[in-house]
Amino acid sequence: MAPLNSLSKEYPLIDSNFQTFCASHAIYSVEDFLLHDLDALFASAANHSNSERLKQGIHQLLLIVDALHPPVLNGLQLIEDAKRNKHVFSTGCEGIDALLGGGLRVGQLTELVGPSSSGKTQVCLMSSSTVAKNKCSVIYLDTGNSFSPQRIAYFVGQSSDYVSVNQNILDRIICYPVFDVYQMFDLLHQLKINLRSQIVKSDHQVQVLIVDSISSLITPILRGNGPQGHALMISSGFLLKQLAHEHNIAVLASGRSATSTRLFV
Amino acid sequence: MEIGMLPISASKRGKLLAAGYTTLHSILRTSTTHLARDIEVSESEALEILNFATRSSDLDKSSGSNANVIHGGQTAWDMLNEERFSSLITTSCLDLDNILGGGINCKEVTEIGGVPGIGKTQIGIQLAVNVQIPLDYGGLGGKAIYIDTEGSFMVERVLQIAEACIEDLSEYSHHFYKDNQAFGVKMHPNSILENIFYFRVCSYTEQIALVNYLDKFVTEHKDVKIIIIDSVTFHFRQDFDDMALRTRLLGEMSLKLMKLAKNFSLAVVMLNQVTTKHIEGSFQLTLALGDSWSHSCTNRIILYWNDDERHAYIDKSPSLKSASAPYSVTSRGIRNSTSSSKRIKMV
Repeated sequence: MAPLNSLSKEYPLIDSNFQTFCASHAIYSVEDFLLHDLDALFASAANHSNSERLKQGIHQLLLIVDALHPPVLNGLQLIEDAKRNKHVFSTGCEGIDALLGGGLRVGQLTELVGPSSSGKTQVCLMSSSTVAKNKCSVIYLDTGNSFSPQRIAYFVGQSSDYVSVNQNILDRIICYPVFDVYQMFDLLHQLKINLRSQIVKSDHQVQVLIVDSISSLITPILRGNGPQGHALMISSGFLLKQLAHEHNIAVLASGRSATSTRLFV
Repeated sequence: MEIGMLPISASKRGKLLAAGYTTLHSILRTSTTHLARDIEVSESEALEILNFATRSSDLDKSSGSNANVIHGGQTAWDMLNEERFSSLITTSCLDLDNILGGGINCKEVTEIGGVPGIGKTQIGIQLAVNVQIPLDYGGLGGKAIYIDTEGSFMVERVLQIAEACIEDLSEYSHHFYKDNQAFGVKMHPNSILENIFYFRVCSYTEQIALVNYLDKFVTEHKDVKIIIIDSVTFHFRQDFDDMALRTRLLGEMSLKLMKLAKNFSLAVVMLNQVTTKHIEGSFQLTLALGDSWSHSCTNRIILYWNDDERHAYIDKSPSLKSASAPYSVTSRGIRNSTSSSKRIKMV
């Protein structure tokens, strides 16, 4: 939490008097402020000489905190949101669709785990071609140079009648080669910003994000010196889930089977 | 954006959190001197942290660009068109080329593994020579980097294979350009040897340091088209106490090789050894370095013996069908197998 003195530049009510008052209650940062008993603070502010100013300072802090938390939703709003926005995308494979209750659900992170050569990349490629055929955009993060446009063209060509339609379909799949976890964070942040400012056009809206495979990005940093790798893994899971829920995207992440990366979802 | 996502060391991160800087915004509001004083680091280190933070926040300011094309991506259609013009390195064995879809692909990492004596080093040397076939003859006209960890690179054998390759090329040109006598092959075995950059590594730290250095090396020598590592397992198998460290180092090394292959459009070929694994009561031959390493390559080829004949089998590939093909090792290099019942088996 930010120390109180860093707020003094922007909010003149939080001047040095206020900070000394807070220091007398052992409040040095916003976190301390939130943990402190507010009624007791108001009461002791009333006993001071410039009590009005101190009370205004306390209100200012509360306002800052209020402005920063996400909106509170009730159950009815969540159901409305689910009915309107959270569609299901078929993966193209009936068995997997049956297991997932229809397919990849918007707003959820689906993890695909298996040993080598079990078909994870094939499922990812098949899902992206099926989604692209249904007129939605796919972003594909490829960590192992295994994105094969030839295979996608084969999947698309299998069930569409004209060859000229292929370009439109293939144009909806965008592939990014990612080779380390910080690069992935940068990319996801940029995606978040682009999505926030995006004008909704049904043809170009990104609805599916596929990461193949996330475990190869996380294995080099896990179990190293300290919990840093673990923290990065958890924060990447958090970021993907946040993207999925706030921006109505279905996320599919593939990885190799290992107990350490199963903490991911 | 959180502090945890900046690429800085753990101790600096701890100092930032202790001083109260938990978000990017709070770092950006201070100046270098204040930051240096608050977290007790030198001015230059504080400047570095601020640079990382401003670079990340610059991403926030990019607006108005096409929502779909974030910097660095390509659509599948563009990639498909590029693939049509991409180059393949032949292995000199027609059956093997056929199951590989024409040869070893540039921009991909291929792993080739097999029992000792099956011909892995021979394939490595053949590819190092074949990458230099001139463009006129359908090759790439590029140079090769050969990283030797076992000491099995024999220069006399390379010379032998190079001479055989030049003889084959001149025979080919003879057939096609019978009238044009001036179309001789202007290659000499010595020039082929000159275009192979040879590195000998003797420990795993040397191997990792070399892979890190390759980025700079390939930027200086832009016509390198293939990197062969023979073999990638050797230094990681014996007396490695910390298995977790091994997994991490291998994971990082494979990501760097993938990045090299993609950024410079070259082929990376890794040769691997085999080990036995106990599955369901029986012992099966599988590639060394464990399950985690199996995700580090784009394509995997396993070489095995089948009644006195050498066969190659495609074990993992995103776009090639599973198939096996026979090949043989002759005095002229890798060639087609000469057995009478030769047939490509689709598995």
